[in-house]
Amino acid sequence: MPDLDKLMSLPGALASFEFNDRGELKESRIAEGSNLNDTVLDLVCHMCIANISIATMQARGWESMTGAQGFYPINGFTLMGLEWSAVATGSHGVIMKNGEADYEAAYAALAE
Amino acid sequence: MIKRMLAVDGVNVICEFRDDGSFVEGYGMLPEEHMMGLAKFAHDYKRIVQGNADQLSMFTQMNGWTPPGGWIVRGERMSVCSIGNLVCLVDNEEGSLTEVMAELKDVSSM
Amino acid sequence: MDIISELASMPGVIAAGEYSYRGDRFTYQGQLDPEQARMASIMCRATTMSVHMQSEILESFCEDCGLTPSRGWMVSGPGMTVCVYTNVFAFLDNRQASKNAVMAFMQAKLADKTDDLV
Repeated sequence: MPDLDKLMSLPGALASFEFNDRGELKESRIAEGSNLNDTVLDLVCHMCIANISIATMQARGWESMTGAQGFYPINGFTLMGLEWSAVATGSHGVIMKNGEADYEAAYAALAE
Repeated sequence: MIKRMLAVDGVNVICEFRDDGSFVEGYGMLPEEHMMGLAKFAHDYKRIVQGNADQLSMFTQMNGWTPPGGWIVRGERMSVCSIGNLVCLVDNEEGSLTEVMAELKDVSSM
Repeated sequence: MDIISELASMPGVIAAGEYSYRGDRFTYQGQLDPEQARMASIMCRATTMSVHMQSEILESFCEDCGLTPSRGWMVSGPGMTVCVYTNVFAFLDNRQASKNAVMAFMQAKLADKTDDLV
């Protein structure tokens, strides 16, 4: 299971969080000086779980229509905002500054 | 004309929006600022439902999903119902979604 | 070379394309047939619409929040990843492509594109 403190050591990390399968925030870490809070993180969690569900439907449909493989099961969703990115799997996520974000490292850390 | 929706049991708010999402008018127990937010949400949600209906058509190869006739989001105490460019808030305990949707369809086609 | 061609020629990018927010046009390059590219455009457009609305809701709770406005998104499966920035998409083979390189390219090249969904 990913460690929230370890996720905070990713370059540019502003917050890390854990959520349940309904998208409700369970636990979080927020970098000092950040204007993020648990209310915002809870919304981000719901957003991540909603988009993973939609992408799962798309992956199922795409694979059955095209015969292509490799999309299902969806194991991550990333939102790219103007300055920050949120990377999440089905239970954990991390928010990073775009300029420093290492998406590969984030997915690797979330897969632990 | 849309004001008549308030006579339907359970309907607390009714709003109309344009195709670009802008607010046309609204009636009921909600400040106008919140009605404008509701209209914006309904416009965006309508586009999302259209997008999902397009995908259902595409993946199932079945007719009948598009164009979507409307949508309902049912919460614990309240529901949001929309047909065409109308959206209303309904108290679940006081109203019937079947009745609300039938009336919304009627009013939206006028 | 235009952005779509450049994207499609990056290592591990199997296809790249662009769709109109209105849903009536798309262009693409790479290893998809026209019907698959049409389907990809429909899917990417639908998710972009959702993410855009969700970000606007998020913004009302998080002023000066770097997550808003939304500029793009990415979904990953075990073998493939879909990256979208503004109205441009790329399909990546996870074994050969670098998500960091593709996203950095898209962010740099599409930085000035408006996020108006028109």
